[in-house]
Amino acid sequence: MSRLDCTEALAHLQDYLKRELTPELVAEVRVHLEQCRDCTGYARFEESFLVMLETRAAKETCPEALRARILAALRAAEERGN
Amino acid sequence: MAEPSAPGRSFDEEALPHLDTLYRVALRLTSDPTQAEDLVQDTMLKAYRSWRQYRPGTNARGWLLTILRNTFINDYRRRKHEPIAMDLEAVEPHALYRSIQDTDPEGSFFSQIVDAKVLEAIDALPADFREVLALSDIEGMPYGEIAETLKIPVGTVKSRLFRARRQLQAVLYDHAVEMGYIKPRETAS
Repeated sequence: MSRLDCTEALAHLQDYLKRELTPELVAEVRVHLEQCRDCTGYARFEESFLVMLETRAAKETCPEALRARILAALRAAEERGN
Repeated sequence: MAEPSAPGRSFDEEALPHLDTLYRVALRLTSDPTQAEDLVQDTMLKAYRSWRQYRPGTNARGWLLTILRNTFINDYRRRKHEPIAMDLEAVEPHALYRSIQDTDPEGSFFSQIVDAKVLEAIDALPADFREVLALSDIEGMPYGEIAETLKIPVGTVKSRLFRARRQLQAVLYDHAVEMGYIKPRETAS
């Protein structure tokens, strides 16, 4: 039996999904989720939100032109010795 | 001035792998691609000049992000209309989920929202929220590393993240309703 009630489990949910809980709390939240359909549903909702952020907002990469400009500026600074 | 030197790995080896992260965080901080580019370049040059202060083997990403952030605060933050936090305190924390749990319980409407709109919604968050959200949920930095980079307690990181995510969810939900990706909750009669 999990010692967490729904309110407590939900309070830990985001940290659980982000793998920021202690192993003891992870186990407690997991047990609660296994037993509680309501909270499992909410966990899926939070997870799809976090996955969406990770996959969509991290797509942008440093433009090649900027990378080249930075490398040139670094080499120039290196030559000046500062 | 002596050549910047650090035993082991060179500046290029330590710093260049983090350019994508620096650029994305700069975009979120400035909300302006041109300013973001300048901010990343300034950051890299400052980092190069203080390379001897970097302790090899420590967290280069956090070190670079601290420089980026200080540079942003000192030289770039001139926004006239800084977004403000929504007053979510009065709202029950899981109200949004309650309103979709019958129609879209797994939150699949999130996947219908276009990338540009997601970014726009993030950029409309208050600066403190945007920053932690970018570092945690976009760059995947652990809370402890964020706390160190921003010089705030882990508890503050957590509470800002919690509120940032809630505000962002609320904005994206409204957008999804507006676009017809999801049916609005029927108002109780």
